[in-house]
Amino acid sequence: MVVLLQSILSGVLIGGIYALIGIGLTLIFGVMRVINFAQGELVMVGMYLTFFLFKLLGVDPFVSVVVTMPALFLLGAILYRGLIDRVTDAPQQNQILLTIGIGLVLSNTAMLLFTSNYRILSTTYSSSSVALGEVHLSTPLLYCFAITVAITAALYWFLMRTDTGHAIRATAQDREAAQLMGVDVRRMGVLAFGLGASLAGAAGALIAPTYYIFPQVGSAFTLKAFVVVVLGGMGSVVGATLGGLLIGTAESLSAAYLGSGLKELCVYLIFLLVLLLKPSGLLGKSRM
Amino acid sequence: MKALPTILVACSLLASAGARAAPIKIGVINSITGPEAPIGENLTNGFKLAQEDLAKAGTPVELVWEDDTGKPQVALSAIEKLATRDGVAGVVGPYTSASANAVAKLAERYKIPLLVPAAAKEEITRQGYKYVFRINAPANVYGSVILDAVLSVGKPQTIAFIYENTDFGTSTSKTAKEYAQKKGLRIVADEAYSKGTPDYRSMLAQVKAKNPDLIFMVSYVADAILLMRQSRELQLAPQAFLGGGAGFTTVEFAAEKQISGLVLTSTQWTDEVSWPGAKQFFNRYQAKFGKEPTYHAACAYESLMVMAETVSKAGGDRDKTRDGLRAGSWNGILGPVKFEDYDGFTNQNHHPMLVEQIQQGRFETVFPPQFASKKIVFPVPK
Repeated sequence: MVVLLQSILSGVLIGGIYALIGIGLTLIFGVMRVINFAQGELVMVGMYLTFFLFKLLGVDPFVSVVVTMPALFLLGAILYRGLIDRVTDAPQQNQILLTIGIGLVLSNTAMLLFTSNYRILSTTYSSSSVALGEVHLSTPLLYCFAITVAITAALYWFLMRTDTGHAIRATAQDREAAQLMGVDVRRMGVLAFGLGASLAGAAGALIAPTYYIFPQVGSAFTLKAFVVVVLGGMGSVVGATLGGLLIGTAESLSAAYLGSGLKELCVYLIFLLVLLLKPSGLLGKSRM
Repeated sequence: MKALPTILVACSLLASAGARAAPIKIGVINSITGPEAPIGENLTNGFKLAQEDLAKAGTPVELVWEDDTGKPQVALSAIEKLATRDGVAGVVGPYTSASANAVAKLAERYKIPLLVPAAAKEEITRQGYKYVFRINAPANVYGSVILDAVLSVGKPQTIAFIYENTDFGTSTSKTAKEYAQKKGLRIVADEAYSKGTPDYRSMLAQVKAKNPDLIFMVSYVADAILLMRQSRELQLAPQAFLGGGAGFTTVEFAAEKQISGLVLTSTQWTDEVSWPGAKQFFNRYQAKFGKEPTYHAACAYESLMVMAETVSKAGGDRDKTRDGLRAGSWNGILGPVKFEDYDGFTNQNHHPMLVEQIQQGRFETVFPPQFASKKIVFPVPK
């Protein structure tokens, strides 16, 4: 019973991070129909930023979210204006190649600058936990989850309640129609890509105190984010949240009951099943 | 163009005369970049110190460096290049078990002497290869020495195994499991994990539910820290955490005082041994590189010393080098070195391992008693 509860709870906490990365990816896809394969590398940039803010200036990783988010927003916006914007009308394979390329450039630049050494960010609370009876919840993961919820709620409010949010959603629904209604779709693209990148940055900052940091750390996150997004339904923010939590919990439960080496297998089995039974994803409306 | 044949003849004459002045060429394969780089760096530094000492002793060595980035397939192309294009007389490396095991097969095919400095997987020297030598103790000793250490002071009943599902992890824990059973310990959990996931908590919760007296972990650098961190978080408190070398012996690990305190680990070498030059090696290393050497550095140093000395005696000939390694015996910072056949191993140095415990953020040798600097703390107070 303790093992079950422990697994579900830590799975949900980790799932929050997956969801955050997935939401960024799904936002970018929704608005621009571009799958950003560099999403994980943006997480990596966020992690390094957090690490150095902590090491050099002593900024707490959770506080550093207020720096990493705008910084990554800027990076995302620059990437969009400089590169992605040029391929929005190009065939899909070109877009994929471009984003993979951006990812490679980012991870290799990190390797040149910071070497391939693993870096560990240790705070005073890195290995502390909160006890709920027999179940122990990691303090940094709890903070991390609370901030994730706050960011997701804020994003949801932004998309649902503000004019700009409406414009972003309109662009996602129908690019041409939105353009005819006077929405500056290019600006929406910059915004969406910037937001997607800043969510990745936030995820990087939040996970930095409980994970380790190295230049290739991104690829694992890209893959996971992709699974989360497809599982939840491409373009759906709520779907990505759900997908993230689902994947996190599935990983955790299968690691506890089937063996840690089999958890990936379990995740992809669920993924395949969902695709077989509901090809548009859990909350997807149609295929594109 | 006319001069070319003459030069060639001259060269071959010189070579056959065993010219002492010309530096001998030895290949090095190591994880210089990639996930295993933090440990690879120790080997690199060890090799560099050995090269320095060899030059001082009148045996200049030219090293041809190859980076396998921790990947066996890259290590394979590295040995191919060293054997066919660079014409080295022998090769030392690679670091990881997976790479070394892959490379051993090719070394045998190309008939080039390979001296493995620190890889643990038993199979590397169990396949009857004539050109493959290993200076460090193989995987089975990692488990047996540390179990001997705790059994010498306590009476644990149960043990749990947590290990990375790579060559190093599975082979080390497989023999440790056999040894534990032989010693009457009951194995209550056996968890192989795939590395690189941020969350091991559910696996650790499962282990905690079994309430083992001992937890034996085999991991490389980052996971060692992550696993211990999450174990502390779940308040997993066995009588002792046992680490199987690698990630548990790094300075980075010891520096994480919150989590690494009183963890025991098996090691190939410490600075407290009474082997000739060990203490000086430790001091010189620390002065030059600004941090303490791990056993990897000592293994790397000694393996290059042995290889260079043999190559030099053999005049750069690969077969003669092989014979020289086979026949020779050395006594340096790793203690007596002799490549023998025993228990199914071939060309394996019968190296005794030690056990360290992290006390106040420092590695202290606690076993065997003749090399101990501090008394072992066991069981660890809750």
